[in-house]
Amino acid sequence: EDTKDPNKLKNPTHLWGNLDVQEFVKKLKERGVTDIKVEDSPGGHIVLLQNDDTLIQIENGSTHVICQGNEQLRKHIRDILLTCLQKF
Amino acid sequence: LVMKDGKMLLLEPSQAMKELGLEEHTIRFTSTIFVDEAGPIKKTTNKVYHLLKEKYGERNVQQSCDGSLTLSDSVLIKVSGSEEGEGKSVLVSWSLQDEDLGSSLLPLLEKGLPPDLRG
Repeated sequence: EDTKDPNKLKNPTHLWGNLDVQEFVKKLKERGVTDIKVEDSPGGHIVLLQNDDTLIQIENGSTHVICQGNEQLRKHIRDILLTCLQKF
Repeated sequence: LVMKDGKMLLLEPSQAMKELGLEEHTIRFTSTIFVDEAGPIKKTTNKVYHLLKEKYGERNVQQSCDGSLTLSDSVLIKVSGSEEGEGKSVLVSWSLQDEDLGSSLLPLLEKGLPPDLRG
């Protein structure tokens, strides 16, 4: 059965534009995420959250969050991404 | 709804973005959780398959020949680990558009898989 999640997305959102990696990292730090490492990749950047075993691949037009079952952290990352991207 | 050449057009969001010259940004999540399951990967996959069938209905769950499962044509589930050993990893991957469905799977899998199934 579904649990009530205050962070549940009300409507599907259509996002556009590219992610500003510096702004994204700044907002992660503001949320208390530590040990953030940013690396360049052939398609853009990789943000590593080393304490949390989480990796975020950022490219033009796409972001992929790869984590290990930590839903609280994933939802923090999701919410930050939504504030960093243009939407309608 | 898009205004183009003085006309109003009702378009799919992706088409509307193209018309406006905007590049769509997709977000995907892949989360891997550990399940305490011994034995072959296929056996764990079958358990996950039955659990999903029970929860979401048989028509919504597909099994691929590579051993992965797909829920509602959008959420990918794949079991990996040692064929012999204790413990398997279950990878769940979904896009932001399928957030509710994708994220609903993790607590379900974390609750544990059903005991051995006949057949």
